[in-house]
Amino acid sequence: MDALSQQQKLTQSPLFRFILLQFICLALMVADKNSQITQPIRQGLSWLALPIIKVVEWPQHIYQTVETAVARQAKLIDENNELKQNLLELRLQAQRNTALSAENQRLRDMLNTAQDLPIKTSVAFVTDIAQTQKRQHIVINQGQTDGLFLGQPVLSLGGVVGQVDVLSDHFAHVIVITDPAHIIPAEILRTGLRTLAYGHGQDLQLKEVPISADIQAGDVLITSGFGGRFPRGLTIATLSDVNISAQRDFQVANATPEAALSQLTEVFLVWPDEVLP
Amino acid sequence: MNHNRSQQALVHLSLLVSLLLTILPWPSTVQLFMPQWAAMVIAYWSLHDQNRSVMFLAFFYGLLLDILMGSLLGKHGMSLVALSFLVLKSAKQLRMTSFWQLMLMVLVLLFNDVIIRLFIDWVSFGYLPVWQDFLPLLTVILIWPWLHYLLNRINTHLKQH
Repeated sequence: MDALSQQQKLTQSPLFRFILLQFICLALMVADKNSQITQPIRQGLSWLALPIIKVVEWPQHIYQTVETAVARQAKLIDENNELKQNLLELRLQAQRNTALSAENQRLRDMLNTAQDLPIKTSVAFVTDIAQTQKRQHIVINQGQTDGLFLGQPVLSLGGVVGQVDVLSDHFAHVIVITDPAHIIPAEILRTGLRTLAYGHGQDLQLKEVPISADIQAGDVLITSGFGGRFPRGLTIATLSDVNISAQRDFQVANATPEAALSQLTEVFLVWPDEVLP
Repeated sequence: MNHNRSQQALVHLSLLVSLLLTILPWPSTVQLFMPQWAAMVIAYWSLHDQNRSVMFLAFFYGLLLDILMGSLLGKHGMSLVALSFLVLKSAKQLRMTSFWQLMLMVLVLLFNDVIIRLFIDWVSFGYLPVWQDFLPLLTVILIWPWLHYLLNRINTHLKQH
């Protein structure tokens, strides 16, 4: 009897609860960092988090709706004309592309290499740019139920945006290529030199270019397809300046991302392994 | 009984609002000064809630905050549970102290909260703290008295009816 009440006292004491909860947190963090076994917990809780996200999105939606309703007709006509112009240009480009891709196909047939088919994509809308984090995240309105997976490439019209970092049921956090913890395998389009592009806050940095290599400001950086995460040949950034490192052993180049990372409204998701018929 | 239930509702409501305030998008200059809303509300309820299940609440809402912000699962949980425990342990003394002493204690505890989270960031992905990480504490000085006053008013109002 005495032992029982002792036990009850123990579970009631704040110190016990404190140690218990801290232990659970620690276990969760270690599990979350090292494997994906916490994914079910994340999904369960994301159902509760969804209404909160909706409430935050709501004023933005209202603002957009009101803006469209209030916008003068003349402005809409202007915008419409501009869009038509854009569409025309894009159609022209697409036509040129069909010719090019046919030529490409012929060359590939001659070389007997693997075929490069169009890949499956999907459009998602950016709901929030998470600045409160120490990481550069954007939040998009699609999640696991839409078929997203961890490490999935995310693009915009300009170029590569990043990859899916944290996945929930109905939304996902995308880590941006300029995050200091993000590295992307890249290739210089002009010379074919392969290297790594490190996130550097507002831009990207190439730290490991040999002194003898030929790179210059204005070179375009594309994905090299190494590592198997990003498909080959997507535009990443343009080199803005090239210097010699402080130890004089490498060339260091800064690169400005082609995607307008702070003004994103919609992004494209890519399934690199699923080719369209 | 009735009072207890309405107080529980108030606890949850205030915590939900604090989560909302945390993830609301602001211009980046304002964002630098964003106080730790959830931590302040948890500190208040640890100080004033009698039935002492605040630590579980801190844990739960901490996890929810982690989901919302896409951070390591358990990061905010850990810092909020620690904060809640430290306030609970000295709640009796803290309720007696003067305004300025309480303010000072809250500041110290929230400083501790920032430190815990920075430490977790450092361990998990090698984040190196910068001095701007401590700017939210300045806003806490401005907001804590009003938050305390507001929640006190609502709480006593609930008690009387």
